[in-house]
Amino acid sequence: MRQGYYQSTGAADMAQLQATMQAIELACNSIQMHINPAAAEATLLSLSQSPRPYQACQFILENSQLPNARFQAAGAIRDAAIREWGFLEPNDRRGLISFCLCFIMKNANSPEGYVLVKVASVAAQLLKRGWLDFTPAEKEAFFHEVEQAVQGSHGLDVQYAGINFLESLVSEFSPSTSTAMGLPREFHEQCRISLEQDYMKAFYCWVQHAAFNVSDGIIGANSEIPEVKVCSAALRLMLQILNWDFRGKNTIENSIRGMDIFYDGMKQENDSLRRSECILVQPGPAWRDVLISSGHVGWLLNFYTALRQKFSCEGYWLDCPLAVSARKLIVQFCSLTGTIFPSDSGNMQRQHLLQMLAGIVQWIEPPDAVSKAIKSGKSESELLDGCRALMSVATVTTPLVFDELLKSLRPYGTIALLAALMCEVIKDLMENRTEEETWSWVARDILLDTWTTLLMQLDASGHNHSLPPEGISAAANLFALIVESELRAASASAFSDEDEYDYLQASIAAMDERLSSYALIARAAVGATIPLLEKLFSERVMRLHQGSGTSDQTETLEELYSLLLITGHVLADEGQGETPLVPKEIESHYTDVTEVVKHPVIVLSSSIIRFAGESLDPQLRRYFFSPRLMEAVVWFLARWSSTYLMPPGESGESKGGYENYNNTQLLGRQPATSLVSVFGENDEGKAMLDVIIHISLSTLVSFPGEKDLQALTCCQLLHGLVKRRNIICHLVTLDSWRDLATAFTNERVLFSLNAAHQRSLAQTLAVSASGMKTSEASNQYIKSLTSHMTSSLVELSSRSDLKAIAQQPDMILLVSCLLERLRGVARASEPRTQKAIYEMGFFVMNPVLIFLQAYKDESVVVYLLLKFVTDWVDGQIIYLEAQETAAVVDFSMRLLQLYSSNNIGKISVSLSNSLLSEADAEKYKDLRALLQLLSNLCSKDLVDFASEPIETYGTNISQVVYTGLHIVTPLITMDLLKYPKLCHTYFSLLSHMLEVYPEIIAQLNAEACSHILGTLDFGLHHQDVEVVDLCLRALRALASHHYKDRGDGKVGLGSHATSYKDPDGKFHEGILGRFLRSLLQLLLFEDYSTDLVSSGADALLPLILCEQSVYQNLANELIERQVNQTFRSRLTNAFQSLITSNNLSSTLDRMNYQRFRKNLHSFLIEVRGFLRTV
Amino acid sequence: MSDEEHHFESKADAGASKTYPQQAGTIRKNGYIVIKGRPCKVVEVSTSKTGKHGHAKCHFVGIDIFTAKKLEDIVPSSHNCDVPHVTRTDYQLIDISEDGFVSLLTDNGNTKDDLRLPTDESLLSQIKDGFAEGKDLVVSVMSAMGEEQICALKDIGPK
Repeated sequence: MRQGYYQSTGAADMAQLQATMQAIELACNSIQMHINPAAAEATLLSLSQSPRPYQACQFILENSQLPNARFQAAGAIRDAAIREWGFLEPNDRRGLISFCLCFIMKNANSPEGYVLVKVASVAAQLLKRGWLDFTPAEKEAFFHEVEQAVQGSHGLDVQYAGINFLESLVSEFSPSTSTAMGLPREFHEQCRISLEQDYMKAFYCWVQHAAFNVSDGIIGANSEIPEVKVCSAALRLMLQILNWDFRGKNTIENSIRGMDIFYDGMKQENDSLRRSECILVQPGPAWRDVLISSGHVGWLLNFYTALRQKFSCEGYWLDCPLAVSARKLIVQFCSLTGTIFPSDSGNMQRQHLLQMLAGIVQWIEPPDAVSKAIKSGKSESELLDGCRALMSVATVTTPLVFDELLKSLRPYGTIALLAALMCEVIKDLMENRTEEETWSWVARDILLDTWTTLLMQLDASGHNHSLPPEGISAAANLFALIVESELRAASASAFSDEDEYDYLQASIAAMDERLSSYALIARAAVGATIPLLEKLFSERVMRLHQGSGTSDQTETLEELYSLLLITGHVLADEGQGETPLVPKEIESHYTDVTEVVKHPVIVLSSSIIRFAGESLDPQLRRYFFSPRLMEAVVWFLARWSSTYLMPPGESGESKGGYENYNNTQLLGRQPATSLVSVFGENDEGKAMLDVIIHISLSTLVSFPGEKDLQALTCCQLLHGLVKRRNIICHLVTLDSWRDLATAFTNERVLFSLNAAHQRSLAQTLAVSASGMKTSEASNQYIKSLTSHMTSSLVELSSRSDLKAIAQQPDMILLVSCLLERLRGVARASEPRTQKAIYEMGFFVMNPVLIFLQAYKDESVVVYLLLKFVTDWVDGQIIYLEAQETAAVVDFSMRLLQLYSSNNIGKISVSLSNSLLSEADAEKYKDLRALLQLLSNLCSKDLVDFASEPIETYGTNISQVVYTGLHIVTPLITMDLLKYPKLCHTYFSLLSHMLEVYPEIIAQLNAEACSHILGTLDFGLHHQDVEVVDLCLRALRALASHHYKDRGDGKVGLGSHATSYKDPDGKFHEGILGRFLRSLLQLLLFEDYSTDLVSSGADALLPLILCEQSVYQNLANELIERQVNQTFRSRLTNAFQSLITSNNLSSTLDRMNYQRFRKNLHSFLIEVRGFLRTV
Repeated sequence: MSDEEHHFESKADAGASKTYPQQAGTIRKNGYIVIKGRPCKVVEVSTSKTGKHGHAKCHFVGIDIFTAKKLEDIVPSSHNCDVPHVTRTDYQLIDISEDGFVSLLTDNGNTKDDLRLPTDESLLSQIKDGFAEGKDLVVSVMSAMGEEQICALKDIGPK
């Protein structure tokens, strides 16, 4: 059986095989020389797509002189066997795998490694494909040979080949690296679990022995010997096996808890903050003997130490593959954790880590000497791997254990070593600021991650908040050095012109991450670092004042900029939508400060805010506050105020949550409370708020054209303030807030704000209305805020010379400004202010239509108009009373009609392609806004707070939306559907409509209906899974509506569903039949994600039930096309069982849908393989 | 030189300003701007600073609305730019003459005969074919800074 097929064949076949081989060789050659590659590819494809090409492929593999041809033949075996697996004889299946294995062993010394790798991976894939069907004895037979090979009984080459095969096998069985086989995910999961339970450990032992046996030879030899290749392959495989995502017991636990067993598990909680990867190795107790008690680790460390001595020899160096693999494996062993260690309160794990650390410490100690050696040309890889190992250790231990580890070897702890290492790295960074991506960059990132890991654990562990004293002082020193290096970098870069602005933008996110890590280090040593920051800040401010007006201050400005960013990160966390609390380290550290004014945090905050306040003085502003520095100030104020300004829970009973959070700590809360309440609602908080508002207004007015600064002020600072209710209440009582509102309506300079900021500012001001005591006051406030804008829009729109002046740039600017502002207010809709905002929109209904006509060629204004209406309707619709709804609906329809009449049939031209595509994009945005408007109207049917049903005024939402769709769809061309967002919006609206109101489709005229269904057909073949899914849901809704309606003796989809012959004798198929045909075509012959099969089944079932006869015809057609008798009968049976097995009935209930899903799954597995064969 | 200037003045429309000043920071993508004396549509705006602690400046990329040439400009964002007054007027097409001029019907019933057919192939053929088929065509004429060009076409139904 292992001999292959061709030896038993006759001479005639031999000639045939020779011919095939020549054809393939020719094709391979012509591809390589790039002669007619398309034809060559077709030849190769025909081999892999022909039925049972195995004989030819094996012939080529064994006889061809051309490695490429052998490579292609192996690939063809794989493709054909995976496709035909279902109907291969068991013997043939085993034969193919054995053939591949034999081929690898026999040709182990062949120089064309890539052919061997390919054949090995084919063997691995086929073995996996049959994994669940083979008996243990059969598997044993395959592996027996492999084991022999790996043990080295057939020589080094075979040994190497055997290890490589295992490598392919392991990666094939690991879900993340497996190849698709067109099988459900369960299959891959089962294979994985089975391999992990039954073979993984055995594989590991084999290669471990292999490595062990060759290691002595390597250590003894003076130059590179062939064993090195085997040894590094073995180490690589061990690493790969340790990288395996072990489930073991976890799987069972998860399934008991009802969790998705496919979920990859939450490996790391602090992932967001780290850049470097660290995979935990958790193989479970079964591995204890192999990995821990066998002395394996000791051997590995000794081996590497011995290897280090040989780096001077020929063929060995620090970065030679063997050394790299060994180091990687050692690092991997550092992250060993979990149940592999017995529950002896961590003793064994400590021993293990100590052993590891003792080996690793040689690579990184003493830090200054190591860094010096690297600077004079030594490779940095040992240092980097050492850092990685430290990070792994930090991940699997607690900070205290981490620190203790080294103390048994050295007079200092691990944290001190970590700090010393990091200091060296920072020093090197300071020296080589200009170069990028040097070793110190990489090392800094890894070490920062290590710190983050350690300190985040402290954060999470609750009761024990601090590092050991030595650790704290190490952190303080490190932070001082970090700040020094950042400041030096800042002043050095102060004059560099930022031409690579885009690059900078991209690196801001990275910088933010880095600063967060720095902040963690600073907080670990709050006692020293906050006074340090305060000292540095005051020094710089003093320097600024001393040199004011005389010397160039740019360097100091840049240093202040940098300090503000660092301080902001240290003092406060980013809220990410939540209200951030005072960082625990800061809060719990100061227990002995009794005088509020001397509290270091308050001293630091106050001095920064005092400095910020200086920006209100026009002269100081001119001297000190460059736009960039002002950006940092505003950023700091935003970040600081969300934590310290009028914090929630400070007053009254809402304290509860806050207290619970802290009740684990026994420290008195008094000092912490004082820190919080200094800027609370009763004390300085209000004054502080006033200052902040003044500063905001001044940045908006006094820094014209500084978009970044205005963005920070509008979107971060002000927006953040009005998000918090207790602040809003005070905000609306402040004169400065009123000044801001007045300036907003009257100051010309605020009209020159960027559009998005206009909108944001309007929204912010409108939101603050909810701070008013009564709802009358809130509505009055909105009215006074908006009346100015609405009346000027009304006035402008009614001017008799509108047509003449509308296109003037200043008019366009004014109108778009006003619309942006109204849109901002509209987005601030709340129940309390709803009345006033409705009235605002109602006033401008007519002007909106007038402007839509006047600006029909001014796409910018058109888009604004549509967006305003969309947002306004979105905020209002659910609250509207029946009469108001009627008005809004009528208005929306007029808007749609007007837009449509302005745009339909219009052909724009331009000489410039980019302007044309611009115009397309504008059209797309308009249409998307219109669809959103329709969706918003739709929601009235779902949520409605009106006091009487809207039907009293004759409004029927479904009718309205269909009419709307009818107006809009002709504008949506297939080209426009290529915009993914538009496509999504369109299809979700469409499928929503068809699901909720399928009956309306029967009332549409033929043209409208065919357009809608045409797009549905388009969507069905879309690449986006979600779009296809939406279309399938729509189809299901249509068909099941029709089926149920017909069952009740009603019309269903009426004339659309019936087939008929028109007077010319042309046959028109009903829509359901048409969709049945195209859906079957899709499911059987096209490529799609397996996730779609279930929703495909849900659509297919009602379609089949509606159009039984069409289904029969289609099935017969397909069956008759099949020439092969076996396939024919299989197909016939499959079609039959698709609609009968599992007791499928002809009802459309949940059970039946489920049964049909199962049927379809097995149907597709059964027939798709051979139907798709050419 | 003074001759040319004089010539230029006299050609301008009386009373209507051809350009308007507007702060650079407020000019957005898809708006209009005058770059190097040409009316352009803005296709790209980016901001940067003059030195780290300097003031913001805007970098505009515009496309000449008549010639489709790409033009660029950098302006401090608090300064003013010229923005062209771009208008579009719809006319009914009444005739295409042999020498490549079109005859258009204005709102007040007069004809306008000084516009050439567009050079763009597709629009040209659509105008010619549509006109030959007897369709009722409305053309949009875009004008700015003393230049005019047909820029769009709409079929308002067969005759």
